[in-house]
Amino acid sequence: MSTAVQSSSRKSWRLATGFAFVALGCAILLGGVSAWLLGSVAIAGLSAAAFTFNFHIPAALIRLFAVGRTAARYGERLAGHKAALADQVARRAELFAAMAAAPAVRQAGWQLGDDSRLADYLDDVEDLDYARLRAGLPALTLGCGLAVLIAGSAVLAPLSLLPITLLLLAILFAGNRVAEAGAMAWGETRSLRRGGASRLGAAMASAVPLKAEGAWNRECAEALAALSRADGAQLALRRLQAMPDMIGAAFGPIAGVSVTAAAWHAGRQGTELLAPMLLAFSWLALGEAMNGASRMLVAVLRRNAARTEIGQWTRVAVAADRREPAPDDIAPGLLRHGALQRRAPDGRAIGTPTALLLAKGHPTVLVGASGLGKTSLLKQIAGWIGDDAFAAGGRILSVGERRALASLVLHDAVILEDTVRANLFAGDAPDAALWRALEAVEMGGRIREAGGLDAWIRQDRFSLGEVQRINLARAWLSSLPLVLLDEPTEHLDEEQGQRILERLMAHLGDRIVVISTHRASSLRGARTIELQP
Amino acid sequence: MIWINSFPLRACENLRMRPPAASASAHDPAASAPDAFQALATAQRLAKRGLRRLLCLQVARTALRLGFAATAAMAVGRLVMGEPVASWLVPLMIVFLLAACVAGFAADGAQASAETAVSIGLRELAGKRLDEMPARRLQSLSVGSVIVSMQRHPEAVAALVVGHRAASTMMAAGPLLAAAALFLVSWQAALLVICLTPVMILFFALIGDAIRRRADAQERAFGRLAGQFADRIRTLPTILANHATSSEEAKLARRLEAYADNTMGVLRIAFANAGIIDFFASLSIAILAVFLGLGHLKLAMIPGFSNLELWQSLFILMTAPEYFAPFRRFSEQYHAKAEGLAAADALDRLLDAEPLRAKVLPVLDRLSVTLPPHGLVAIIGPSGSGKSTLLRRLAGLEPGRKPGLGPHRLAAEDIAWVSTDAYVPEGTLAEAISWNAGAVDRTRLEDAASAIGLLDDALLPDGLDARLDKGGANLSGGQRLRIAVARAQLSGGTVLADEPTAKLDHETAEAVRRMLLEMSRTRLVVVATHDRNLAAAAHLTVDLTNSDAVEVAA
Repeated sequence: MSTAVQSSSRKSWRLATGFAFVALGCAILLGGVSAWLLGSVAIAGLSAAAFTFNFHIPAALIRLFAVGRTAARYGERLAGHKAALADQVARRAELFAAMAAAPAVRQAGWQLGDDSRLADYLDDVEDLDYARLRAGLPALTLGCGLAVLIAGSAVLAPLSLLPITLLLLAILFAGNRVAEAGAMAWGETRSLRRGGASRLGAAMASAVPLKAEGAWNRECAEALAALSRADGAQLALRRLQAMPDMIGAAFGPIAGVSVTAAAWHAGRQGTELLAPMLLAFSWLALGEAMNGASRMLVAVLRRNAARTEIGQWTRVAVAADRREPAPDDIAPGLLRHGALQRRAPDGRAIGTPTALLLAKGHPTVLVGASGLGKTSLLKQIAGWIGDDAFAAGGRILSVGERRALASLVLHDAVILEDTVRANLFAGDAPDAALWRALEAVEMGGRIREAGGLDAWIRQDRFSLGEVQRINLARAWLSSLPLVLLDEPTEHLDEEQGQRILERLMAHLGDRIVVISTHRASSLRGARTIELQP
Repeated sequence: MIWINSFPLRACENLRMRPPAASASAHDPAASAPDAFQALATAQRLAKRGLRRLLCLQVARTALRLGFAATAAMAVGRLVMGEPVASWLVPLMIVFLLAACVAGFAADGAQASAETAVSIGLRELAGKRLDEMPARRLQSLSVGSVIVSMQRHPEAVAALVVGHRAASTMMAAGPLLAAAALFLVSWQAALLVICLTPVMILFFALIGDAIRRRADAQERAFGRLAGQFADRIRTLPTILANHATSSEEAKLARRLEAYADNTMGVLRIAFANAGIIDFFASLSIAILAVFLGLGHLKLAMIPGFSNLELWQSLFILMTAPEYFAPFRRFSEQYHAKAEGLAAADALDRLLDAEPLRAKVLPVLDRLSVTLPPHGLVAIIGPSGSGKSTLLRRLAGLEPGRKPGLGPHRLAAEDIAWVSTDAYVPEGTLAEAISWNAGAVDRTRLEDAASAIGLLDDALLPDGLDARLDKGGANLSGGQRLRIAVARAQLSGGTVLADEPTAKLDHETAEAVRRMLLEMSRTRLVVVATHDRNLAAAAHLTVDLTNSDAVEVAA
């Protein structure tokens, strides 16, 4: 978080806190002073004191409190959201950086590429973003308001502290139950939701076989039942919430009644009762502010769950070195590994170690059936997974160095919601170069149609084949010495795939190129390595 | 102190990450099928009983709170004025208060239960729709959006038809009750708060309009930036692969900041909405307190505000906020409406989508062949000639002409479907193979698995006890396919296999061919295949190559 942003957010929080105190103070005083005024004038009205009663000051105060409450609440909302938004911007930018460093991103199957997982993740991020606004700030002002009124009660009607303390204890007890049992219910909700979602996802991915075998209904019903059980777990949480809310609703009135009763019990009468009445009505106003206070507890327990979840993504990342060394003086013409052990995504060894000799000008084609670890092998070469050491000339290229030197063209690469230019990742390459790349992958017409290089694009406007071709244009524009293409002709028809691949190979003649494919293709000057199980 | 309603933020930052929906107006209700899903209407029907109960409880709570206000005002007022307090008054006050709290407790519970019931009911009905959907339609839906719809949308619709509906009804009932209570004490005071209401509503309308205009302008100017954080998280591997982390990080921070600045612009107006309610609630207290005070001092003779007892004034003072509270609760529900409507619309779109037009395949319509009760039948032909379609027709998944089956019929329970997208439950390899086949002897399981090389697969090191992820996430297409072949072998039913030897290396493909042939001795095995070796072994070949004539070779 930059210091400028930090200080502006801190200022907003201070402002919001100030407004919150003023708003609560005005609300309490508005109720209290109004009631006090009525009592005073009613007593004064009985005698000649009516004519000397200074009505104007309390009346003006009441108007002041009314306007002050409205204005301060508005200010509190605005400043609070401003602060929360400033924090959100900073936190999300930080979170993005931390996520980028998470090892999971480089491994197989990016989970947050999936809509439903992404939606869950965003909920968590939001729970983090707004916890302070939803719980921290209200709890602070409410706590201070309570302290002031309790102090007032101790002075004016000490006996009233007994029921007030008892009720506070009851709220604490019920709140504690929400915090504990609620956290469990929320955890259960989350895990049931996730279980149901993945089960439904599995069923959806096998819709045809399941329907053919007549098993769809059962599988779908069971997945949905898990989601409904998640609703049930959330219902349990809401039921728990109702208890502290009920006691909270009783708290203000009971405190007010207790103060009045205790004062009366102490023998106060008539005008002596006016001050306790002011306090009683203040308690009523504070009680209004306590409505739905269980939401604070829920905001906290949701924040805790979200923190744990997001921490799982970013925990390892903190330790990992984010910076990629950029050895711009190295442009290896040859990359060699004596005996590279292929690994499955989960780290198991596949097949026997293979000797790899990758040379520029001679594309290496890795051929093999699916499941033989072709993608993993490319990622190993690119330094994304494993800790293999490759020799380049007289030196060893470390994982970090290879990462910096390699352009890895993933078969499941996607389109960013951004301009075409940003999607090509070519820095400040001239327009002509970008168009050449697009023409080479036969996307020139399609992009012109979409509005040119600065047109805003998104994934769902393109077919899989078009996404693949944009992906290949990125490879075309890469200036790195090592280009790794994972299934470059997937989603393309055979002829077009071959055409584009040949063009790309001619263009990348001065690089080390490795291609993985499950269908053998003939490329000039290529060396083919057949992967065996 | 207020419960900050974070609607605008949620709407801005999260809701829009989902692809923009076709607008609701594009979804012409008249044009939809007679059995359209109509999530909203369905949910309203489901909510009816729970809603009634909830409203009763909320009305009871309001009435009891008014009762408490009346008795409390009476007790305090008499006490201050030194008048005797009736002995029944204090217990009655306590009873009112406790009953109001219990009613509130019950109302909270009733709302939660009703919303959960609607959510579950709606999900069940949506599940039925999915059951009725043809397999190809299901396959064409985006898995992510189906999950999001089934997981989240029923809940959002439920909140709309229960919570939001109750709040809007109470916006009529609550103030009416409060006004009636005021009326008993001073009809002029009741009139005063009632007169404030239309002014407030007028402001509401004006501001609501301003918010909409401002939000629309924001959407036009900044809508693109709404889901940037979500998008960048989704696309992280691509960003990393293109070495764009630091440039994207800087860009993201810039865009988030621009969007946040703009969001504040919308919020400034949006919060005015809540501000108006606060203003009128505060104003009414201030006006009433001053009027009533003047009345007590007998300095001004305002009809309805003079010659009142202290308890009556106090009661008016306590009741005025009750009058405005339902408005505030309703305004807090605003986001529930937006989210609920969007969710209902999304559910409708998902479940009422136009049926996919079946591919026109004249070659299949000329097909006239009767399949034998057992033997290997190969359907061959180039990609797109209708091999898979024919297989689906055989399974009854698609309407259309299909080969005759002689005397026997194909029931879904007798079909074993073999393809790379075969279903794999979470558990061990043994459980995956015996899935849907009841109890299976371990030796038979082992025989079937080992015959097609599943037991000496390097990627499944623990043999039958190897752990599989849900949905077979850690399996390759070839492995899933072989699990389906082993399952088919155990099931004893008719086998329909879509490209059973694709994605396999030579040896494994040979093993699978052998197993299919062996199965075809006792039952019907139909394969759609490009594999010449497999086709050559078939007892009957249906060649869809020539669209004019279907060649059938025995």
